[in-house]
Amino acid sequence: MTADSRESLVPPEARAMVGQRLGQPATGEITLKDAQRFAKAVDDLNPLYFDEAAAREAGYRTLIVPPTYLGYVTAQHGTLADLRIDGLYRSGSRGPQLRVKRVMFGGEDWDFLSPAYVGDTITAETRLAGLEEKDGASGPFVLMTTETTYTNQLGEVVARARGRSIAR
Amino acid sequence: MTATVGQLHFEDVQAGMELPAMVKNASRAQLFLYSAASSNPHRIHYDREYAAVEGHPDVLVHGPLQGAWLAQFVSDWMGPRGRLLHLTWQNRARAFPESDLTFRGRVTAVADGVVELEVWEENADGQVIMPGTARVRLPRGEP
Repeated sequence: MTADSRESLVPPEARAMVGQRLGQPATGEITLKDAQRFAKAVDDLNPLYFDEAAAREAGYRTLIVPPTYLGYVTAQHGTLADLRIDGLYRSGSRGPQLRVKRVMFGGEDWDFLSPAYVGDTITAETRLAGLEEKDGASGPFVLMTTETTYTNQLGEVVARARGRSIAR
Repeated sequence: MTATVGQLHFEDVQAGMELPAMVKNASRAQLFLYSAASSNPHRIHYDREYAAVEGHPDVLVHGPLQGAWLAQFVSDWMGPRGRLLHLTWQNRARAFPESDLTFRGRVTAVADGVVELEVWEENADGQVIMPGTARVRLPRGEP
């Protein structure tokens, strides 16, 4: 089948979402317990995440968190009834509905602009930045790019992340 | 434990310098704990039978966990008074538990207290499975 006769993996409704915000902004608090649980799961026992005195000594006002933990502060949980066969939440995807079977994580680009501290309240706002159809060695796929802005309770942008997913 | 024993200063760094390698080897229990800590119920990370349904020979190490390791690798190198400004990575190939994953890097440029790094992760066969870049700000040493 040629690319011309093939049905696009990106339906028009999905294409129309490019540039738009995905869902409502989500807000969550950075708690000591959750941030340290993340650091321990990574096995990143940096004193800046565990030792208040070490964090102050390094110029921070209190404990900071592992840089990419920001991506999970506002994580939303579904119910068990909401789980699909692959374990993901049906309602978890605020993203575009593509004509694909699965989506693989492809990497991230982060800009860290201001420290994120334990106790901060973070608001994450995500925008669909791009949907590029490509032909790979194992068939056509869509490179989906999202952009998330993380803002603290003072209105400071603490970080921006561009995420890439491969949908095929 | 982490290796944040000393503080690196901008004057200590030149282009071409290599970072000391960091080796990770994830147990299945660690993958389970990372799934929980990152609110990720995807079965490919803890259910080997299901992972086969998606075409994988074993459960996979999470792409974002490898990203978190990359942040750890750079943060440990720069020391507590360094500041991570920018970090990018591309997950290009699968990574599996109970297998060595080695993080390496080298300095590509230095200017005005800011250091640019090329960083990457290799699997046990030496294949680069996750290339990336980082930018950090380092403190100046005492005169």
